[in-house]
Amino acid sequence: MPETTLVQAINLALARAMTEDERVIVLGEDVGKDGGVFRATDGLLARFGADRVRDTPLSEAVIGGISVGLAVSGFRPVAEVQFSGFIYPLIDQIANHASRFRTRTHGHLTCPMVIRAPNGGGIHAPEHHSDSPEAMFTNIPGLRVIIPSSPRRAYGLLLAALRGSDPVVYLEPTRLYRAAREAMEDDGKSLPVDQCFILREGSDVTIVTWGAMVVEALKAAAEWQAKGCSAEVIDVATLKPLDAETIIRSVKKTSRCVIVHEAPLTGGYGGEIAARVAEGAFSSLLAPVLRVTGFDTVMPLPKLENRYLPDAARIGVALDRVMAYA
Amino acid sequence: MTIFNLPDLGEGLQDAEIVAWHVAEGDHVVADAPLVSVETEKAVVEVPSPRSGYIKHLLAALHQRVNVGAPIVEFDDGTHVDSGTVVGDLSAKLPAAAEPAPTQTSPATTASVLASPAVRVLARDRGIDLSGLSGTGPDGTITRADVERVSSGLVAGEQKAGTPQALTGVRRSMAVNMAKAHAEVVPATVWDEADISLWWTGHGDITVRLVRAIAVARAAEPILNAWYDGQAMTLRTFDRIDLGIAVDFEGGLIVPVVRDAGARDMASLRAEIDRLKAAVRARAVSVADLRDPTVTLSNFGMLAGRHAALVVVPPQVAIVGAGRIFQQAVPGAGTVAFTHVLPLSLTFDHRVATGGEAGRFLQAMIDDLKQSS
Amino acid sequence: MPTTVAHFDIEYTRYIDEDGRLVQALPTDADATTLKALYSAVVRTRIFDAKAVALQRTGRLGTYASSIGQEAVAVGAASAMQADDVLVPSFREHGGQLWRGAAPVELLLYWGGDERGNHYANAPHDFPNCVPVGSHAPHAAGAALAIKLRHENRAVVCIFGDGASSKGDVYEAMNISGDWALPVVFVISNNQWAISVPLRSQTAAKTLAQKAIAAGIPGEQVDGNDVVAVRAVVGAALQRVRNGGGAQLVEAVTYRLGDHTTSDDASRYRQDSDVSSHWHAEPVRRLQQYLTTAGLWSKHDEDALLKQLTAEIDAAADAYLATPPPDPSAIFDYTYATLPADLLNQKQAALASAPTRLAVE
Repeated sequence: MPETTLVQAINLALARAMTEDERVIVLGEDVGKDGGVFRATDGLLARFGADRVRDTPLSEAVIGGISVGLAVSGFRPVAEVQFSGFIYPLIDQIANHASRFRTRTHGHLTCPMVIRAPNGGGIHAPEHHSDSPEAMFTNIPGLRVIIPSSPRRAYGLLLAALRGSDPVVYLEPTRLYRAAREAMEDDGKSLPVDQCFILREGSDVTIVTWGAMVVEALKAAAEWQAKGCSAEVIDVATLKPLDAETIIRSVKKTSRCVIVHEAPLTGGYGGEIAARVAEGAFSSLLAPVLRVTGFDTVMPLPKLENRYLPDAARIGVALDRVMAYA
Repeated sequence: MTIFNLPDLGEGLQDAEIVAWHVAEGDHVVADAPLVSVETEKAVVEVPSPRSGYIKHLLAALHQRVNVGAPIVEFDDGTHVDSGTVVGDLSAKLPAAAEPAPTQTSPATTASVLASPAVRVLARDRGIDLSGLSGTGPDGTITRADVERVSSGLVAGEQKAGTPQALTGVRRSMAVNMAKAHAEVVPATVWDEADISLWWTGHGDITVRLVRAIAVARAAEPILNAWYDGQAMTLRTFDRIDLGIAVDFEGGLIVPVVRDAGARDMASLRAEIDRLKAAVRARAVSVADLRDPTVTLSNFGMLAGRHAALVVVPPQVAIVGAGRIFQQAVPGAGTVAFTHVLPLSLTFDHRVATGGEAGRFLQAMIDDLKQSS
Repeated sequence: MPTTVAHFDIEYTRYIDEDGRLVQALPTDADATTLKALYSAVVRTRIFDAKAVALQRTGRLGTYASSIGQEAVAVGAASAMQADDVLVPSFREHGGQLWRGAAPVELLLYWGGDERGNHYANAPHDFPNCVPVGSHAPHAAGAALAIKLRHENRAVVCIFGDGASSKGDVYEAMNISGDWALPVVFVISNNQWAISVPLRSQTAAKTLAQKAIAAGIPGEQVDGNDVVAVRAVVGAALQRVRNGGGAQLVEAVTYRLGDHTTSDDASRYRQDSDVSSHWHAEPVRRLQQYLTTAGLWSKHDEDALLKQLTAEIDAAADAYLATPPPDPSAIFDYTYATLPADLLNQKQAALASAPTRLAVE
């Protein structure tokens, strides 16, 4: 079986969804002729035509708003935001409208739309291209927030998002677009949303993470195995609604929890998970719940980027700290 | 004007029926805005507001027939209350509970136990009290192993040792102070005996004679009545003797202080010693009576023992010990005489005092104790 | 010497002036039946509006945005639409919603604070009110795109105010609608006030209609207090945008005779005397005058109409007041298509501790 990269997996999922459901419309800047700046929509224009694969004028606000109008009118738009730093103008349409249509009409009107955007740094990009704004979206009721970490999960979760009837913000770890690759089939099988994935079983500490940090967490877990630390690694995948049960069950088994995310510390989603763990696994905790995250600073430009991004070594420091609590 | 009356509708009409109000009480109207619609035989007439202002009262009901000239609206000429918003209602009152006045936070009175939730659960399951347990984990937290260690100590082994009890109160203080003394002081001890046959008749006030002897000895060698600061390496000698007297009682060891022992006469000494002992027995000795002894006396001989190397408690530099009086056979010319002997021990801090100074101090005590009175 | 590469003209249309006189011949489809229907609709809107304000003043309705003085814009635009067209309103288009089949009780439920008022049983194509100003303009473009993708003979009317016309969302929506030739008519209900900000402080543009020129779509002005003119102009615009004709902008010039909302006090920022003068131009009176002068409307007709409409609105108010609040589980049940486990836990905890009796007004 040939290897598929994460961005190719997204492309396959989009094509499959568009094949099986003619209501799926792709729109965004440069998604048509250029196939998307990261090639996520490559080939879709030729296959599905200009009606369904639309290059929009430059305006994230109207990309979000026109998607709302389309979705309420019975289509299933999947809009691309080109870079993470450009997603902010969409927050109005997502927070004020997309996430509210169902509840404010008691289900008479719904808004099945997906906003896709690259997420996170580590690609030596100019300013504003390396943000990880996922925490902002997790505080919006009625929204689903998904961050895949592998080609197979990117494929399966995007299919689930496109087949579902709720608005989804689907954030793709930019630096895994080409770096993450695995053998997988374009089999049309979706993966469950609202569920964590246990990627590695362990007994001494639960590492909870998502996106590009999953790779670093697995690396740290492998390295610390030699030090006698058996780490369980959980990929949250759907940040909201959160599958807290899986995380709590794991921490009850291991008694220790380390949360890893690239986004800045304060107000980051790690705080939410730490609170859930404190509430649900309190009596099992041997050590404080630690977070390994980006600093409360703007992601520096490429010259210092590597000093900012959490990596296996920094995760290891946290593992040592929690393992000291016996 | 405040009251607006139904205007002349023309064509000799005398009255009209209110068919629609266009304003409600509280509304703000401008001049010429429709106020009310009235119906005559000829038409439905819309009556405009004569002025701008706020409607206080509507003075006629819907479908009421009103005569021309009769009052229909009262305007409000009072001050209008600003709602302070353009949406919703801003309440101008908070619910009843007021914010409490800030209080000083009281300091924590008990040291808290450092243990993670899982360890607490384990301890609770094993019936172990965590207070007093020292932890080997980070920041002194108690680990599971710490609990297991204590727990297995209780469960395994033939001898069922008592449950570990944390030291409290006086015993705890003693443990702390003695450990501190051991860490700082360099003790040396010299022993000797005083022949007290001239005044000892099997009973007498040993303690008072010892106090007097110490006062005499202090005059000879003042360096033994001093405080030494080992950090600053400074010595403070005192003319006045505040003598700590070791008192054994059921709780342990307490050392009340006789102030200015050297200046008192025997009666005053006895009275003060008695007062302090009574206070100790009644567990009512005051902090003032325990503070700052310059030298200490331990009359351990009342219980048992002859000589002892006692503990000098810093910042003091000396402690005098008196053992049990015994009889000694002393050979004379062709005969054997029996003397009464009081054994003495002087432990001193050799960082401060020399053996010579200690010896002279002790000899001065012996010479005084030999006196018949 | 420079050449002119583009210029624009903005046209203004009116049929009936402030005094109820014709300034030009009426459109041919504005026959007596139509005119009476339009008159009935604007009166109904005003009676509904007064009832809503009265309910708010007596603590039985929440904050309400009165449309007094602007009835002709929403009624006129709605009356030009097909039943299966789509109305995307802001929050002051009550007359248009009522024309298209929203029930007065539904509107009262919305303003009374009940989500069930966001669904119009008999106006299934329309969008509910939109509070964040101008943010519904892109929705209208999306609804128009949906129509275009389905090759339907339908169109969208999106109504917003002069304040909204300053907003980026509105320009972006017009821009993409022009670019993609979407079947949408944007109607600016220019009531000349954005809360306390008068039109002259809102923009340097001489007209709001010309903002369409920047987006590459036609723009024109109409007398917003002449319901016949609004209907005609929006109707003509709808004809053009259907079937691929492209988007349009219509600016209807009117005046906000009341406060921004029932919590606002407009006397804080505008002169009562300015407002008074606008009462002369208001839409209901001028149409009544025309109809009466043209012999199309009698006192008997007026009587009957007021009785009928008052009874209808009173009954709607009674129905609204008699409607019990929704079940508290509604807070949770419509958040997602299927309630996720996480939210189900919250719901169960929240409802377990809820009072068994809801507070009675």
